[in-house]
Amino acid sequence: MLNVLMLGVGQCGNRILDAINREAFGGGGAANLAKYYLRPKFPSRVETLAINTAINDLKELRFTTAKDRLHVPNLHGVGANRNVGKQAFMDNRDMIMGEIEKRGDFDIAFVITSTSGGTGSSFTPLLINELKRQYRDITVVTVAILPAREEGSIYLQNAAFCMRELMEVDAEGIILADNQNMKRFGGDIASAYNKINDMIAKRLLFLIESLDSEMLSVTDLGDFKTVMNGGLRIGTMGFYQADSKNLSISDAIENSLKPANLLYPANVADDSARAMIIIQGSREHLDVDEITKEVERLTASAGHVFKGIVIKKGNPKVLSVFTLASAPELESIYAQAARGMQDEKEKRCRARKQLDDAFAHIEDLEEIY
Amino acid sequence: MRRLICLPCLVCLLFSILLVQAAHAKEDTDDSDEVAFKDFNLNIGDRIDLGDYQMELIEIQSVRDGLVVMRTSKVGGPLDEQRALLLDSPNNFDGGAENGGITITVADIFDEQSAKVRIEYQKSLGTARKHASERPAAALDKPELSVQKSFERNQMSVGDEVKVTLTVKNTGTGQALGIKAEDAPPLPEFSYVAGYPPKIKETLDSGQSDSAVYVMSAVKDGSIRVPAIIVSYTDAKKNAKSNSSEPFNILISPKSKADLAVKLAGLAPIALDGESMLNISISNSGTASATRIEADGTVMPSEGLQVTGLEKSFFEIMPGEEANYSVRLLGQKPGNYTIRLIVNYEGGDGSVIREGTAVVVVLGREYKYQYLLLIVPIAIVIAWMYRRYREYKY
Repeated sequence: MLNVLMLGVGQCGNRILDAINREAFGGGGAANLAKYYLRPKFPSRVETLAINTAINDLKELRFTTAKDRLHVPNLHGVGANRNVGKQAFMDNRDMIMGEIEKRGDFDIAFVITSTSGGTGSSFTPLLINELKRQYRDITVVTVAILPAREEGSIYLQNAAFCMRELMEVDAEGIILADNQNMKRFGGDIASAYNKINDMIAKRLLFLIESLDSEMLSVTDLGDFKTVMNGGLRIGTMGFYQADSKNLSISDAIENSLKPANLLYPANVADDSARAMIIIQGSREHLDVDEITKEVERLTASAGHVFKGIVIKKGNPKVLSVFTLASAPELESIYAQAARGMQDEKEKRCRARKQLDDAFAHIEDLEEIY
Repeated sequence: MRRLICLPCLVCLLFSILLVQAAHAKEDTDDSDEVAFKDFNLNIGDRIDLGDYQMELIEIQSVRDGLVVMRTSKVGGPLDEQRALLLDSPNNFDGGAENGGITITVADIFDEQSAKVRIEYQKSLGTARKHASERPAAALDKPELSVQKSFERNQMSVGDEVKVTLTVKNTGTGQALGIKAEDAPPLPEFSYVAGYPPKIKETLDSGQSDSAVYVMSAVKDGSIRVPAIIVSYTDAKKNAKSNSSEPFNILISPKSKADLAVKLAGLAPIALDGESMLNISISNSGTASATRIEADGTVMPSEGLQVTGLEKSFFEIMPGEEANYSVRLLGQKPGNYTIRLIVNYEGGDGSVIREGTAVVVVLGREYKYQYLLLIVPIAIVIAWMYRRYREYKY
């Protein structure tokens, strides 16, 4: 059985972690009541911990137990200031790591965070380093959420620097999710974010369940690490569940790789480095030859594809995990972030100059009383 | 002159006085031949003396026929005659009172011992005087029957049989002959079962009695006036007599019936596997006896309640009385059971059925602190949910 640690850092990470806990209660509205009489049903031994400097963000959680909420005392958040956040982490590092250590040893840790916020983007790189230092054999995968482009220059700036730091740490890889891509779910902002959170939660739990299941065709944590180490070590996940109208497994695999079903917009055929396809469903729906043909077709473009097949009653479900050899969308983010930073710098200079000009009017004058 | 006028007046006065005295003298001569009469109440042996005549009452020969025997004699004369005198018929002796003799008339006969006699005679014979007899009165030979008619009871019901007793007793001194009892006509409210018409001995000596019994059955209700029974008889002298009983009333009620009421009591709930007794009372509130009483019953549902001794029979239950018995109940299965008791009896008007029912509750097994089965889980759930709430409360 896998020992899994799931850390939600910052407001975004906390909410995704809460969505994971809700899924463990069965998801949907029933989870609101089920948490009072059921234990969360994780496929493996899963320990969750929500970390935040803003206590109000922690209070918003509904499905994460109080003991799994760790408040890092730093007034009320870090105000999207990564430097403050880093300082707060360093000041409370022992407390944070001690809280994690209480939960035992782990095979894999998922650190879920937004790259644009204050606490998450500043804590996560440091936290990963600490995890790697404290747990020698642990596999650390970052689930990083990119901001929508119009969220503001500071968030873009934070995302740019956070991503660079995440690339520098010794983690096994990054699974990207892009709010810009998933805003299309429509509705109001709150429900759209909730859907994003639920989507990420389901895929992560599906992944954990699959890695810890007896498979017809085996993939395991080692395969997952190999996939995540491929390319830029930046990857994403796609998911598709076939409906009763079309139970074709090859169609399901194809659909799982379509940009609409990915957490981060990518062209799998052109950009993927390594991939893992995990298929779950009733035996009668899982034609191994068909699956093999589809995987071989994907291998032609993605280089290497691991496949796992889990026999479980129901319509076919496909989870695709792949790493990217190139990430053009990231470059646009960095360009946009740079422009924003430049604009910010110029605005600040102009404002300073205007202020200096204003001060110049009284440069040779003394106060008279 | 004046003296000449007074003298003729005096002479006339004296002459008138002489004429009046002469008239009186003529009347005195006529009184000695006048007939007088006198009535005497005589008992047998009494005698009347009138001058030389003696008249003695010898016998009341027949009260009914009005015959009295008297003896008439004349001292120093040839008259000595014993003659039967008829009531109200004058009898002349020595030519009768008109001719210097005497006339005797029986004016009334009181009874066998006495009579009223009138003596007519000329006053010249003297005054008639009665001499009571010094002989004791001869014993009477007079029968007297007392009659009594009685019913066995004065109140009865239609269909009841009743005995009627007729008793005749000779309370007189003589023998009663030719006794006949007339108990007629038959009463329409009764049918005569046996012994009617009653027969009494024809002859009863003094002090002797006889009775006759007959049986009737009441057929119609109401208040009935029972007429007197008339007994006729004669004495030794053929004197006819009759006596009757006193009429009286009897009451015939409508036909009496038995009316049984069935009552089942003592129906406390029975614990499971527990025993109890069911008391059954069959009371007769009717006016007749109930006979051949047979009680039997059923239990619904048939399983789960064991009833022992429900079947019972009685020979008779008198009016106003009751018969009681108990039934043993054993509760084997919780539930409500209905015991239906059917009583069949003869109630005077054929076979009658009465029913009584009772509901018996057999309780389920009672578990102490059973309410905890509800409270404890709820408390656990609440505690659990509160604990979980605390777990998620931050």
